[in-house]
Order: sequence, then C-alpha cells, then structure tokens
Amino acid sequence: MSREHLTKLGITLPEFPVTSVGSFPKPSYLKKAREDYSAQRIDQEALEREEERATQFWIEWQDQAGVDVLVDGEMYRGDMVTFFAETMRGFEIGGLIRSNGNRYYHKPIITSAVEWVQPITIEWFRFAQSLTEKPVKGMLTGPYTVMDWSFNEHYENRRDTTIGLAKEIRKEVEALVEAGCRIIQIDEPAISVRPEEMPLAVEAMQICTEGLDAYFISHVCVGSFDQIYPQLLELPVHNLDLELSNPDVDIMPLLQANVPQKDISCGLVDVHSREVESQDEVDARLSKALEIIPQDRIWVDPDCGLKTRTVEEAQAKLEVVVAAAHARRESPSE
Amino acid sequence: MRLVLTNNGSYPRVGDRPQERKLRVAHTKFAEGRISERDLKDTENWVSSEVIREQIAAGIELVTDGMVRWHDPVSHVAVSLENVRAGGLRRYFDSNFLYRQPIVEGEPRWVKSLLADDIAFSVKNSTRFVKGMLTGPYTTARMSIVNAPEYKDDIPKLTMAFAEAFANEIEAMAQAGAKVIQIDEPMVLRHPGDVGLVREALALFAEKKGKAELALCTYFGDAAKLYGDFQDMPVEIISLDFTYSEDLISNIEMVGSSKVLGLGIFNARNTRMDSKDEIFHFLDRVLPRVSTDYCYLNPSCGLEFLPRDRARKKLELMTSLRYRYLHAGGQ
Ligand SMILES: [Zn+2]
Repeated sequence: MSREHLTKLGITLPEFPVTSVGSFPKPSYLKKAREDYSAQRIDQEALEREEERATQFWIEWQDQAGVDVLVDGEMYRGDMVTFFAETMRGFEIGGLIRSNGNRYYHKPIITSAVEWVQPITIEWFRFAQSLTEKPVKGMLTGPYTVMDWSFNEHYENRRDTTIGLAKEIRKEVEALVEAGCRIIQIDEPAISVRPEEMPLAVEAMQICTEGLDAYFISHVCVGSFDQIYPQLLELPVHNLDLELSNPDVDIMPLLQANVPQKDISCGLVDVHSREVESQDEVDARLSKALEIIPQDRIWVDPDCGLKTRTVEEAQAKLEVVVAAAHARRESPSE
Repeated sequence: MRLVLTNNGSYPRVGDRPQERKLRVAHTKFAEGRISERDLKDTENWVSSEVIREQIAAGIELVTDGMVRWHDPVSHVAVSLENVRAGGLRRYFDSNFLYRQPIVEGEPRWVKSLLADDIAFSVKNSTRFVKGMLTGPYTTARMSIVNAPEYKDDIPKLTMAFAEAFANEIEAMAQAGAKVIQIDEPMVLRHPGDVGLVREALALFAEKKGKAELALCTYFGDAAKLYGDFQDMPVEIISLDFTYSEDLISNIEMVGSSKVLGLGIFNARNTRMDSKDEIFHFLDRVLPRVSTDYCYLNPSCGLEFLPRDRARKKLELMTSLRYRYLHAGGQ
C-alpha cells in the first residue's frame, strides 16, 4: 500500500490529498517581465526576481487554500520539454512549431548524445520548499515524452533516444531526492501516442525511478486511453494522475474493467473550459471514482496543468477541488 | 520518367524571422479586438502568397497554399458544414499537434464553398500549378464526435454523409482552378478493413472533379497492406508515406503501379536532412516499376511539423537531389 510507503518517507497526508498537475498561469507582472526579457529590456536577474515573486505567490496561495501537496507552478518554464533541453547537453533549440490554433513552441533538436551536466530543477525545488511546511512535488518531464517531443538527428532510433534520455534524467531524479524531495512527479503526456511503444516508456521510467527513496507520480493526458490501458498500469510509479473530467474521454469503464492497484490522482475539473464546476459536479465525479477505486488510494486534482486558464479561473477550479475533498473528509461515509 | 516536385499539403505559416511572424501577431491582435476580420484575412492572403513564393523559389512545381488559413486539418472544412461544430482539443495522431474534434449534431450539409476563394487566390498568385487540399470524409468521420443519433456508431453512414457534402467542395475547388486535389485519408491505415468505404466515397468525388486530378494520400503509418487496394481507387494519383516501412517498397517492386505515385520519401517529421544514398537507392528500386510517365516527389506529410527554415531546406534538398539523380548521373 502506497500510504505505508509515504509514511516510511515521513509524509502523512489526509484522506483525499489535494494536489495539482503542475503548471499554473503566470501572473501579469511575470508575463510582462518575460516579454521585456525577450525584447532585451530587462536582464535575466530581473526576470528571475519576478519568477521568484510569482512562485512565492502560488506557494502561499496553495498553502492557505488547503492544498496538501504543493507545486511550484512552473513560473520559470516556457514549456515542459524545452526547459529541460536548455539545460542538458546534446540539444539545440529549434525554430517555432505550431501546437494548435495560434500557439507555438520551440521544438528541441537532439544533435549529439544527451547529457545531464548540472541540476535543472533543484534550485526551484529548494526555493519553493523553503516557503512552506507542506511537501512540494518535484516536477520532471519523462524520457519518453522528451524523446517524442524533440527532433532526433543523433540517435539511431526512438528506443536509443529514450533510453539515453532516461539514464540522464535519472541523475536529476537523484539530485531531487538528495535535495530532500520525497514526492516526485515524472510526466509522460506523450505516452499514449504510440501504444506499441508502451514497453519502452515503462522501461525508461524504470531506469528513472528504480531503487530511489521517493513516492513517484506520473501524469498522462489527451490521448487514446483505450489503446494504452491496462498496460499503463505497468508504469513503475506509485500514483497515476489521470484526467477524469475531460468531456470527450470517458475512461471510467476502462478503470472498471481493470481496477488499478496504484494510487490514482483523479482529475476532477476540466482545465480546457473557463467555466468553474460546482462543488456538486466535482463531488459527483469523485463519487464515480469511489465506485471503482478504494478511498485510501484516491488523490484529487485538476485534469491537467492550469497554465492556460487565468489566475482567477485556476484558483476557482482548485478551490472547488479542495472544497469537495474537505467535505468528504468530514463525512466520509456518504 | 519525369519526377515532378510537390508539397504535401501544409507549410509552416510562422517562422523565426521577423517578417515570418506576421500571421501570429495578426491572430493575437484579432483575438484582442485590435484588428478587423478583413485585416486578418489580408494577412492570411499575404502569408499564403509568401508561402507559395517560397515553394516556387525552392523549386516546387505543384504548390499548395500551405493550409495557412486552416485551424487544423480535421476541423477546418468539417465545421464549415451545417450541423457540425468545433469541439475540444485532441492529439493529432502521434504528433504533438492538437486538433479540434468536429462534433456532428445532425446531417452534415454543404452550404457554400470554403476553399474555392483560397484556390482562386493561389492560382492568381502562383506561376506554378496549384494543388487543393481536403481531409477525406472517412478520416473526418473517424475523428469526429457524433451526437446525432442517426450517425451514432455508424461510420459508413457518416462517411458517406461527409462525402456527399465534400463532393460539392471538390467541384468548387476544381472550378476555381485546382490542377490536383489531394484527399488525405490517414485514418484508413488504422482501419484497413474500411478501405472499401474510402473507395465508395472517392467515387462521388470522381464525378465532380471536372478537369482536376484526384490524389489519395495517406501518411503516419504503413500503407503496405493496402497498396493493392489503392491501385483500384477512382483517382489518378496515390500518394504515400515511405518513412514507415520497407514492405511498402517491396510491394511496389512486386506489383508495380499503373497510377501516378506521390513518393513521400523525404521525412517531414524530422529536421535531419535525408541522405542522398537512401533517396537514390529508393528511386532505383521504385521508378522502374511504375508504368506512368511521371511520379511526384514530395515530403512524407505536411511540412508544418518542421520549423520554417528546415521545411524550406527539405524542399531545396528535394530539388537538388532530383537534379543530381536525373541529370548528373547520380552524383
Ligand atoms: Zn495533462
């Protein structure tokens, strides 16, 4: 049971621990600072000051809002792969690629063997953790996703690329553990794109997590869940973070058919819609999850990162998750 | 054997040079209400003419408008139909591009052409022949959410409903001057049993195509199993992605081709420049088995998965390798 594992790590959590998938919206002052930095109107130090201010804002907000396992909100990241590619050796940052609508990102290009040369997230983890008594999650992007979201000009094939990345990303995991981080989330949002590669993703995750003293979570999203479940359960992590509130994907019947023996972080609010769910709606989703997953294995959070919402929307969405969890704790039999 | 160079649909609408960012800026301003729809359309037109100019400069002989006005390949045309609206975002095949899922609320009905004006604009702004693009009815049906009870769990019925609607679009594109109309049906590779349905839908298009030629195109998967069936399709051109399997090449070696082939051998999913030896070896194997007097040479899929500078380089590489293959004795 994962709760015992958490206890061994020195972490006690209430029933229905509330957390977030990772990203939060950047406050307007940080958006402006990032623009100013791109236009070379301010220096890096000035940008970092605003990133710290925004990180502090979100940590304090989560703390007082009643969130149990905090995230730093990724105020210092552009997107989840480029951020790692910028710090690891072997990458070049490529030109702009459209991801949808009018959104673009810089897709990294692997041009030589990838290499972890220095800690990537450790300073931010330390900073965030120093601001709160509650546990802060370490947040990494998994090797399979980094592979899939990069161009590869160096390795022979996708497998070699993934394994090469896994060995290096493990060093960052070790550094997080070393820094005192006990709950580490390694996201694999790309995992569902090629179901036949699931064993590769599992093997890569094994390389990242094996023998390390931490509680591991992995978030997967927007995909053909039916193609990867139940194989997804083989991912060597303690907790799978799933979207249960995306109106277009109903994964409940699949979970019903193969009840997961892992902890499940249940996404209880849809991050793609502006509309904030009512507490009844959120509680109804939680009830559905409870029909399948035992209470002591359920965590609750939003479906995905909240960075595309406004600050107010993100807060409102998380608040309703907190409210639903707290209500359940007070009347667990209902 | 002639090798005609073409672009396989999309082309990056935004690049890293300042003048290549106009469309992105225009969309932002439009969303903020700072420019009018007319201004946005003008920018789209300007960008499409730039994209055409860039293809021609790189040596392309059958150009597209780069699909620079399309939100995404799945929803753009579908939601122009009556009773179809745009839904939430989903991952487009195994890419990290997201498309809006079309939601079918009733019979998809064609009211007026969405693409004819774009084709006419391209024809006016191109010194080369223009290819029109359409995501096929089968793929559209497979990638839609169906709310209308009459189409629930009935892919054949929904496919044919889209086909009837799209046939009007084909007619309008042909009349607007498209030399070739490429119909993308990548989904059939995932459901090879439905190939007959694709044929039935294409038969409707064949009646409406006027002087245009039709190309059936698949990508993101191995077409080896379906290659024989594709030879029977009511289209002039079969365009295939050769980056997935060896078997497809062996099949062509065995069966040959009585149709014009679109040879998608330049990998549009990776920035790495394709090697001359691999391309030449491929052409040595395939070309002798094709009985038409020309083939198309093109990227394996749309170029929007690459940054603009690499997309341009891929097209230039196609041009230079074709020259070396045909005229310089393979040097
Ligand atoms: Zn997600």
